[in-house]
Amino acid sequence: MKLGFYSKLAINNIRKNSRFFFPRICTEAGLIACFYIMLTLSMDGRMQSVKGGNYLSAFMWMGVAILALLSAVLMLYINRFLMKQRKREFGVYNVLGMEKRHVGRVLFFENLISSLLSVIAGLLAGMLLYKLCSLLICRLLQTGAVAGFYYVTPLTLIPTVAFFLALDFLIFLLNRISVAIMKPVELLQSNSAGEKEPKIKWVMLISGLVCLGTGYYLTITTESPLNALALFFVAVLLIIAGTYFLFVAGSIFVLKTLRKNKNFYYRPKNMPAVGGLLYRMKQNAVGLASISILATGVLVMISTTMSLYSGYESVLKKNYPQHLYLEAGFSGDNEEIEFLSPSDLEKIVRNAAEKNGAEIKDVEYHEYLLLAYYNSDNILYTQPEMNEADVMEVSSDIGNYFFMTEKTYSDLTGETLGLSQNEIVVCSIYNPEGLKDVTGTLTIHGREYRIKNNIYHFPISASYLASMFSCYGVVVSDENTLNEIYVSQKKVLGQFASDYTRRIAVTFADAGKAEAAGDAIENDIRASLNKLSDGRVLHYNLDSCWNAKEALLGMFGTLFFLGMLLGTVCLFATALIIYYKQISEGYEDRARFQIMEKVGMSREEVKKTIGRQVLLVFFLPLAVAGIHMAAVFPILTRMMKILMFFSVKLFVICTLITFAAFALIYVLIYIGTSRTYYQIVK
Amino acid sequence: MEILKVNDLKKTYTSRMGGSQVQALKGVSFTVERGEYVAIMGESGSGKTTLLNILAALDKPTSGSVELDGKPLASVRESTMAAFRRENLGFVFQEFNLLDTFTLKDNILLPLVLGGKSVSEMMSRLEPVAASLGIESILEKYPYEVSGGQKQRAAAARAIITNPKLILADEPTGALDSQSSADLLRVFSKMNRDGQTILMVTHSTDAASNAGRVLFIRDGVVFHQLYRGENTNESFYKRISDTLTMLRTGRDSE
Repeated sequence: MKLGFYSKLAINNIRKNSRFFFPRICTEAGLIACFYIMLTLSMDGRMQSVKGGNYLSAFMWMGVAILALLSAVLMLYINRFLMKQRKREFGVYNVLGMEKRHVGRVLFFENLISSLLSVIAGLLAGMLLYKLCSLLICRLLQTGAVAGFYYVTPLTLIPTVAFFLALDFLIFLLNRISVAIMKPVELLQSNSAGEKEPKIKWVMLISGLVCLGTGYYLTITTESPLNALALFFVAVLLIIAGTYFLFVAGSIFVLKTLRKNKNFYYRPKNMPAVGGLLYRMKQNAVGLASISILATGVLVMISTTMSLYSGYESVLKKNYPQHLYLEAGFSGDNEEIEFLSPSDLEKIVRNAAEKNGAEIKDVEYHEYLLLAYYNSDNILYTQPEMNEADVMEVSSDIGNYFFMTEKTYSDLTGETLGLSQNEIVVCSIYNPEGLKDVTGTLTIHGREYRIKNNIYHFPISASYLASMFSCYGVVVSDENTLNEIYVSQKKVLGQFASDYTRRIAVTFADAGKAEAAGDAIENDIRASLNKLSDGRVLHYNLDSCWNAKEALLGMFGTLFFLGMLLGTVCLFATALIIYYKQISEGYEDRARFQIMEKVGMSREEVKKTIGRQVLLVFFLPLAVAGIHMAAVFPILTRMMKILMFFSVKLFVICTLITFAAFALIYVLIYIGTSRTYYQIVK
Repeated sequence: MEILKVNDLKKTYTSRMGGSQVQALKGVSFTVERGEYVAIMGESGSGKTTLLNILAALDKPTSGSVELDGKPLASVRESTMAAFRRENLGFVFQEFNLLDTFTLKDNILLPLVLGGKSVSEMMSRLEPVAASLGIESILEKYPYEVSGGQKQRAAAARAIITNPKLILADEPTGALDSQSSADLLRVFSKMNRDGQTILMVTHSTDAASNAGRVLFIRDGVVFHQLYRGENTNESFYKRISDTLTMLRTGRDSE
């Protein structure tokens, strides 16, 4: 009977405060749905068996972890607003003779009901949307859809429900404690506490400028992709700190400066806005900074994953200039590997291709020694030598060096170089900081070589290793010299030493056709190799662009999906924070505007002033997010080079699309929430 | 010369469902001469607030008219109403109604800012007003930093800074202690001596005894009025008090 009373009161409260509860329930339901979908995707065996689906599990787990954190922060944030608005109500209960434990009971039922509604709605939405999401992923991975509609397992249902019920219970406990320590009089008055005028915090202002400036400097000027990777997080932290500091101290500084300018300040348009904002900023600077950062996060997440995904083909092309690579050799007991000759390799591939109806357009033979060195003043060091020589890593250029003999070079290009004993020719194939000629001498393993000249084409299509390091081709005079380098590095590096590469690179006439027959071709090649092995141990390396494509699509597609899902969650989180902000401010502003109306402001003017303030508060974070995005853009392009993504144009387009879509949704939310705000203020 | 002419004012409120009707004003008529200091007294529910809202053009009468300096309020268009009020009327409220986001100075200047006056004019007007109300030293303070009496003096400064034809005061001493009340009433008397017309709604006999004339409202009509004449505050207080008693006992015996 009594419990019935409390639950009835709770239901009534939720209905009466639907302005606060409805978005809360919707948000929680949305979070539950996303959580459920990601968790289920990480466990659904059908999805993982799909081509490229092997990344799902790891990425979705990561997503679940991020979402869990985000959910906790968001729900606590919403709850804080809700409680702030309702403290007066609890105060009235107290005054009317309800004890705190009774208020606690009402709170409990309110929480229980809202949380049950969220869980039911969230799980239903999650189960319904799951199929949609799995279809979307299959589409992104460019494979056929998985069979079956539902995938329901207690393995994902129970953790989802448990996590959110636990979160809600934690929130209930926090609220219960805050009611317990409040005095009824304070509860009644807490809405109208006097506010002091904010002071300019000079230290914070200056450190904000310094942080943001340094952050921007790092993001814009860091050229080398490897440094970019290392410095990105430093830059992000600096920018985040700078944003908070500047929102808190900078906004007040700007407003106070405006106020000092009497001819600007004492205008009907400006005075109410500046005064109102000065007051608002003190309470909202942190919130607005958070919104800006969340929004930037959304932009970065979606635009990068979208560009990577839509640019996967160029990434693939950079990694795999040809379609199929084969290297093979045999060894008996304790014998050196005897490599198959290029013509033998070609014969094997041609047979396999013919059998499967794929036409070969071109076959290249790659024979080279690929070694990594640090270059300090044209002296090359291997990693262990580097540590010994105690040369600063930063001042040196890490690079991959493709070595070949003049004979191989001539065979491949038909050109002769006329190198004498100690002469070499260098080709700068790739450099993240721009191609440069290498001149003078080059010292390799203690022997000094004279650089005869630079060439600008190297007969090996540099593979993906070229992405983060600079990359050079070196032609030496003869086999002995090459072997000397090979032996020297073997001595220094031991088991980490490199071996010669002797492979053929095959380009097919019709890539699509070859890809369709890809598995069959590879199987036939393996069969031929096994037949040739004749009891010896077979060593082979078979790689194809279609296998890489599957992996790339799987990784980028899954990342893109994750980016979109988390981006959407962040977007709505942003919107929601603004919505609650609008409402809580609406109630505070109402009294203020009523006074202005009494003092002689027309309704029209009041409306305009409100409009200006709301617009500014709403769109400031969007503008800041845009600026941040522009500032981190350079470092992002450099970081994406590590993944062999080079198309700045595509990235610009994706970023613009993301920003436009984001702004559009933001505007829609703005229209929706400002209507509520006007209703309150009126 | 009349500055305010109220003629047979009636106001009927209809409840939302259209059921019962409440007649707040049943035909109020009176005039206020330029330079007069008039107090309107009446108990809660007598129709005082309704009357004041109509005079302030915040509410419209069901019938009857209000003329301010010869101009009927009903003839002022909605779009210019805010400007009209700003230029012709000054308000002092029981709850001060100062904006907590502005200093006292900015609060006082607000009507001038809204009226689009130049900064130099604002400052030249502010000075004498602040001096006569004795608030020069606290102009840069915020409302929450000063006492109730100081707040109300700032509100009075805000009301007179536009040189309004009429100041409407709604229970100006209602939220003040007796010392601050006495201070504020002295300020009002001084403003009146300087030629300012004041119409004050109150149910404090003390406040009313400062006025030149007191109107008594009961059940939506002007029931009685008293002129101060040559009376001192003290003897006027006695007469008002007697009248109130008479009104009350008179009603009780009805």
